[in-house]
Amino acid sequence: MKLELLLILILFLVGFWGIVGKNNIIKKIFGLNMINAAAVILFILEGSRSGADAPILGKEGLHIVDPVPQALMLTAIVIGVCITALALALAVHLYRVSGSFDIDRIRDKVHNEN
Amino acid sequence: MRTEDLVFMTIMLPLFGAAIAFFAKAFPKGSLTSKILEYGGAVVGLVLPWWALIQLFGPVYQGESFSGVVGGWNPALGIFYRFDGLSWLIQLLGYSVGLAAYIYSVGAGPRGPAFTGIFLIQTAALSAAIITTDMFNLFVCLEVLGVTSYVLIPTSKKPGASLAAFSYLMVSASAMVLFLVGTYGLYRLSGSLAYSEIASAVQGLSGTDHRVYLMSLVLLVSAIAIRVAVMPLYGWLPDSHALAPHAISSVLSGVLIKTPLFALSRVLGLFVQGADVGLLMSYAGAATALVAVVLALSQSDAKRLLAYHSISQIGYVVTAWGTAISIGANTQAGLVLMTAAYLHALFHAFFKGLLFLSVGTTVDLAGERNVYRLRGAARYLRAGGDRLALTFVTFLVGALSITAIPPMNGYISKNAIGYGMKGSFLYLFLTLAGVGTVASFIKLSRIYWPSAATREEKSVEPAAEKGNAGLGYRLTAQFMLAGICVATGVAFPQVLDVTGRLLSGGQVLKQPNLYGSATLLKTFYTALAGVGLFMLIQLKPMAHILHVIRERPRSFQGLFVSFSLATAALALWLLY
Repeated sequence: MKLELLLILILFLVGFWGIVGKNNIIKKIFGLNMINAAAVILFILEGSRSGADAPILGKEGLHIVDPVPQALMLTAIVIGVCITALALALAVHLYRVSGSFDIDRIRDKVHNEN
Repeated sequence: MRTEDLVFMTIMLPLFGAAIAFFAKAFPKGSLTSKILEYGGAVVGLVLPWWALIQLFGPVYQGESFSGVVGGWNPALGIFYRFDGLSWLIQLLGYSVGLAAYIYSVGAGPRGPAFTGIFLIQTAALSAAIITTDMFNLFVCLEVLGVTSYVLIPTSKKPGASLAAFSYLMVSASAMVLFLVGTYGLYRLSGSLAYSEIASAVQGLSGTDHRVYLMSLVLLVSAIAIRVAVMPLYGWLPDSHALAPHAISSVLSGVLIKTPLFALSRVLGLFVQGADVGLLMSYAGAATALVAVVLALSQSDAKRLLAYHSISQIGYVVTAWGTAISIGANTQAGLVLMTAAYLHALFHAFFKGLLFLSVGTTVDLAGERNVYRLRGAARYLRAGGDRLALTFVTFLVGALSITAIPPMNGYISKNAIGYGMKGSFLYLFLTLAGVGTVASFIKLSRIYWPSAATREEKSVEPAAEKGNAGLGYRLTAQFMLAGICVATGVAFPQVLDVTGRLLSGGQVLKQPNLYGSATLLKTFYTALAGVGLFMLIQLKPMAHILHVIRERPRSFQGLFVSFSLATAALALWLLY
């Protein structure tokens, strides 16, 4: 359990570093995806503490996973996809305006135009 | 129809309207069918919910509240909801400003079925955020609110707006991941997602479990604090609110930053340590009110100046709200303060919405947004078709409201906060912020002052044709909000009474004496000090300081640094 948590933490930190440390906005969006994935895995791990069987009605067994986290994460993944798609669309628009994916150069360019 | 169904009408009608509006895209652009579907959708989504709200007023005024599990599911799996006075009041806020902003956008743009659809989805999410009492459902509502604003901000087609939306998206989406981690912590401890069940499960925890609970609470609160834009977390707001289309600015500033705050009060009211969080938030709010007004005073862009004022005014709301929670939201004093906080949020939505729309119309017609360059704006208004310069009148109503001059509604809510906060050192911050507000609105109103230089040199044509389109809609929306500003200011005893009853579940609260000589005198001194401050910033050295503040470097990383710092501060505050 401890090892899995450590791996999740590393995944989260790598993603966070991507968002904050990288200037390329595409890499920032990757980073956002990674921290989102880390949160999803954390929930799934929590659900698996009660058992490992699929929670299907009719196949009653005591060792099923907790279905609530799985249902939640399905929603969270869908939201994550929406946000990624939207962020990429904004990135394309910013690239068309500024000719760059670098956040500082975009800011300079946009600042001069306003 | 059952009353429970009426409650869900307030969420389902805008969603249904959005579906109708999106259907319009199946027909040729600009065709009659497409128009009918689009505006039909808007009527279903923004006008019909009023019927549900009117029906629901009776029961909630009597102190009734409706709660249960959505769709009658098994409580172990279902989503809990609660509709009470607070939900009703927040929906009133959302639907009134939303309707006015939509009418304005019909005239001024952005237009089109996609815009209408997304606007309606945002309204539905606002409505749902205040009804839900399920942690994950709140997460979904906040994400939908976020996604719709990231889409609506760049519809102004300004490159800066795309960058602002991108920065907002990154910081807010990252914070929402942490919200999810916080939800995970609470689910792990309690095995439930409903506020009430979590609250009873986390009572009496100790050791590691208690720390897990506190950290989860910290993550939830700081993710919401980003949306509310309290002090260290305001960085995303000015650009996105200033560069969004005018109608969207008014909804973002008026409604979107307040709904998460009041949704949070549902959580904090139940949880142990909610009071501690409230206290820290009230300090942050007071600092916000003062710092943001200094920043506002330094701005040169008319709409950015207004955006900083939104931060400052939300500071007032958060101060009163935080203090109310820290002294207990069910005590008499807490309820009086909560009423004041809500009223200021509501009135701010009206007058700030009004200011954004009026200034928006003015800068569109004049083709100039810089407050140092634009002068004699009334001439541009007349040239643009607003023959009587009515926009100037509506601006004046908004400006008098925000600077708390009687009998406008701002006077009522600011002094109601003052009455509740009496004796607290935080009130000093708010008073000083009031002085700054007066000064910066004198500065902003200079765009209407006639000036001999501009009168001759510039021919009054620029942008007039473009802006003229839909002036009727613009003025309708402006007058709607201006009328509400005056009416709620004049009829304040009734407004205070109804709000107090709704928030307290039917009790009659003690009413503050708002027209006492001391209060009036204080208002006079504040206005006088504001004029003095305005004179002061005209001096060379002061102007230089303001210039330095205005041009201070801002970066993307700064947003994350301040978020991390704020989260750490909140964690330290709760743990030690």
